[in-house]
Amino acid sequence: MGLNFQKSFRVIPGVRMTLGWGAVAGLVAALPVGVLMATQHMVAGFPGWLTFVAYALVIGVVLGAVARGARQGLAMTASAGVLLGTLGWLVYSLTVEPLVHGQLPTWSAASAARTYPELVGDILHGGLTGFLLHFLAGAWALKERVRQWPEQRARIVVVGGGFAGVSAAQRFEKLVLRGAKLDVTLVSDSNFLLFTPMLAEVASGALEPAHISAPIRSAAAHTTFLYGRVDRIDPAVREVVLDSGESLRYDHLVLAVGSVPHTFGLPGIDEHSFPLKNLADAIELRNHVLLMLEAADRETDPRTRRELLTFVVAGAGFAGTETVAELFDLVHGVSHYYPGIAPDEPRFVLVHAGERILPELGPELAAYSMERLAARGIEHRLNMRVTEAAEDLVRLGNDELIPTRTFVWTAGNKPTPLIPDLATDTSLRAIGLEDVWAVGDCARIPDPLREGEFYPPTAQHALRQGKAVADNVALVVAGRSPLEFRFRTVGVLVALGHRTAAAEIRGRRFAGLVAWLLWRGIYLSKLPGVEKRLRVLFDWTLDLVFPRDIVVTSAAPRRSKVRAR
Amino acid sequence: MSELDAPATGISEEKAGSPVPAPAEADPVAPIPAGSMRARDAMISGALAGLAGGAAFGATMAIQGQLATAASIVHTDNVVVGLAVHMVIATILGAGFGLLLMARQRPRAGETVFWGLIYGAFWWFLGPQTLLPLLLGKPVAWNLAGAQALLPSLMGHLLYGAVTGIAFVVLQQDTDPLWHRPSRSEILRGLVAGLAIGLALGLPWEGLIAGAGYALLFSPESTGPALIRGTVYGFAWWVFAALTVEPLLFDVTLDWSQKSAAADAHLMPAYVLLGAGVAVLYTWLGLLAKVLFTDDIRLVRADAAGRRGLLALGYGALSGLAGGLVFTVVMVAVGEFPLVARMIGSQSPVAGFVVHMVIAQILGVSYAVLFRRRSFDLTSGIGWGLSYGFFWWVLGNLTLLPLFTGTPTDWSAAGIAAGFPSLVGHLAYGAALGAVYHRLEARANPWWQTRSKAAAERAVARRDQIRGAAPAMWVFTVLIALIIPLLVGAS
Repeated sequence: MGLNFQKSFRVIPGVRMTLGWGAVAGLVAALPVGVLMATQHMVAGFPGWLTFVAYALVIGVVLGAVARGARQGLAMTASAGVLLGTLGWLVYSLTVEPLVHGQLPTWSAASAARTYPELVGDILHGGLTGFLLHFLAGAWALKERVRQWPEQRARIVVVGGGFAGVSAAQRFEKLVLRGAKLDVTLVSDSNFLLFTPMLAEVASGALEPAHISAPIRSAAAHTTFLYGRVDRIDPAVREVVLDSGESLRYDHLVLAVGSVPHTFGLPGIDEHSFPLKNLADAIELRNHVLLMLEAADRETDPRTRRELLTFVVAGAGFAGTETVAELFDLVHGVSHYYPGIAPDEPRFVLVHAGERILPELGPELAAYSMERLAARGIEHRLNMRVTEAAEDLVRLGNDELIPTRTFVWTAGNKPTPLIPDLATDTSLRAIGLEDVWAVGDCARIPDPLREGEFYPPTAQHALRQGKAVADNVALVVAGRSPLEFRFRTVGVLVALGHRTAAAEIRGRRFAGLVAWLLWRGIYLSKLPGVEKRLRVLFDWTLDLVFPRDIVVTSAAPRRSKVRAR
Repeated sequence: MSELDAPATGISEEKAGSPVPAPAEADPVAPIPAGSMRARDAMISGALAGLAGGAAFGATMAIQGQLATAASIVHTDNVVVGLAVHMVIATILGAGFGLLLMARQRPRAGETVFWGLIYGAFWWFLGPQTLLPLLLGKPVAWNLAGAQALLPSLMGHLLYGAVTGIAFVVLQQDTDPLWHRPSRSEILRGLVAGLAIGLALGLPWEGLIAGAGYALLFSPESTGPALIRGTVYGFAWWVFAALTVEPLLFDVTLDWSQKSAAADAHLMPAYVLLGAGVAVLYTWLGLLAKVLFTDDIRLVRADAAGRRGLLALGYGALSGLAGGLVFTVVMVAVGEFPLVARMIGSQSPVAGFVVHMVIAQILGVSYAVLFRRRSFDLTSGIGWGLSYGFFWWVLGNLTLLPLFTGTPTDWSAAGIAAGFPSLVGHLAYGAALGAVYHRLEARANPWWQTRSKAAAERAVARRDQIRGAAPAMWVFTVLIALIIPLLVGAS
């Protein structure tokens, strides 16, 4: 972004002063050395003196910059001066001087021997400069200390540990490195950053849960992390109150709390559906599916078998489509362990309210995706809503009843209800709230490039918004105005299970194996941290030669749904 | 002396001075360190230490019959008066040394000895080369011939500095142990490392003693800083063993003159490599022992290598490239590319350039491995880089390059002088490497920025450890790198 924080260097009022003292020390030290050099006829005439003074000035200023006043102690500053003197000799006497005289520098021992007197002079000058600078800057710092006010850092609280929140925190760390006076605290009710695009693969057992999540404490290592749930926000007194009762004061608040599943109050769906928002959901879904297979293997009642072996996913966005494809892979990938289940028995249904699946994709790719899913035998119900769910069935809008005990709900999300109806202006400031910013899925963020439209709730947007909000907060703290957030979607990728995917990147469309490789390559590179990338790569590689694991890891499955005889 | 007290205010003051202000919560509680002294105490113990250093220097002057020079300051040639004058000066300079080191907290002998060395070297420039002729009313010549004649005096000043540095610690110790007391296994490790490196260099006995001495003198350190420390240690061994003990033992004379130093110049690279090799092998054997025999994870390591390690390697390669490009300027001017190309059996300068850049990158990566999280500001980055560059001049240019190109290794005074342009190039390479690497590291993951109090304390401790001796080592390395080839080799 090229933000220039030099202007906000209020707290180090001494930068220019230390350089100034360095220059003074360099010049004062040049006096005795220059006199001695004059006896040697090393410095003679007007231009010679001028270059010597310039040299002394440069050495003094550089020393002032590296020594930063008297803080490092006399020994350090004086020895730094000696070092600078020798380097000055290398640069000036051995390099610049021959060039000025129109010769190429040779850096040979002979030329070094010829300029040896200058080496002595430079070393003495450097040492003396360091010596003087220490006392000059020290005396000045003593006087100045009285006038210095304590360092004030703006308190920033980021709520939410998803893509938006963590990328904001990471950006804040960078800005602090560049001199922004910020003190950042991140509050999250999970201590890891979940890589949601691979969540469906965890649900299908292709990836280990911990491998697609990175601890926030390591992802944003220099940010204060606070594990806890935010209970409420009080913008009037600028306070965030946690569940534990603890309250945090803020100067700027960044909300990145994400979204939660929304079931529109339809009967039974809350109780009987599996959401797929977090790691626990994915683990629960996988365990549940495996328990369904365990139960079906020895079930004799045909109706119960149908319930056990039917898997319904509501919502055919990215999450829903990938989930149904992954569930298909899971069930058929482990079916050889279950001799009691015939290959054509498991049934998969994708229910979608729209006219076509994957509305984020172009119509051609959406059609391709549906065709691929249908070719495997995955059924679909378009223009259809789930109206009701029970323990062992779901009811569709046309009153069709699908007997199932596995119903995944990805058909609706709503912003986390911390602040109702959260919307921002184009520079990510929450409307109607002072010094509150919002990013990611939790807010409606207008897209200035498309009038009247909002940015979609995807990871790539959340990442950029997090970065932009950090920049904007830092700008406002530095007393400048924030910038508009503009971002054009790079592309969309959807995995369709085994070796198939569809992708649209910068207007170019990909399908099949190429898209699948793209999907894996791009998302692998987006995983947080080398370690996790390697682990996922190992998971995928081992997946090529070993069957999927059918270990059920949770102790308490949904008993009502399993109900074995 | 109120100005002098300014730097002694402690850690928080130093932290505030870091290029990147740490977050507020990282600021450790900063009491005024108990180890820092008042100016008067520092001056007194410094003066006493100077007396000890002066005695050692005086003894060598007496043997070489140079006390008359000191006496000439008071316009006589009486040896006793000369000794008295010499001791007075040594005491005054010692007091100055005490003031210089006053702000150091609980220095150890292994640290102050380096400060003493650089202090002595500086006074060689200021004293015999400048003030002495001024006092005697002679012209200040500063020419190389004069400096070469003063080589015995340089050695004496170094001896003075080293003894003063050690004595200073001995005198002002109260409760702390004088130095890190080595265990039996550490000394054994030193002996093994010394013997192995000594055998490789044809200096087995010297290696054995140098190895044990290294274990005795220095506290544990990570490989990179240990390498630099070993380089300086090796140079000191050249002065001590080749120039001092050997003539004393075999010829019962002490001759530090330019002629005899030039005759023994071929041993300087050997001793530098010996010191550096001992330091590295000693450290690695220690790491191996730690990995194999330590069952307490707290003692093993705080940061896993995998975390951001790959990034560090990438940064190392990048910094190596930057350094290599800077070095290229010197290589082109000297026309050394065809020689480098002979490493792969080619004569073309282009091949030479490619080989050069590949080596520059590999060394950059090795720098990242050795000096990761060891530079906390630009100065320290450049300091490590310069020292590392000097080491590679000795190992690379003087030793491996002839070996790989099939030309005879020439460690003689003339050979060292002939390598001077390459030395300048190596120093420039190192400076650029260290500076760029520090910038990259500071941009991505500055280790001095910490979150927890414990980590902050560790970071402060590490920085203080680096500051303990490293700046003196950097400066001293560069000084000897530049003046020894001139003094010994140039005619």
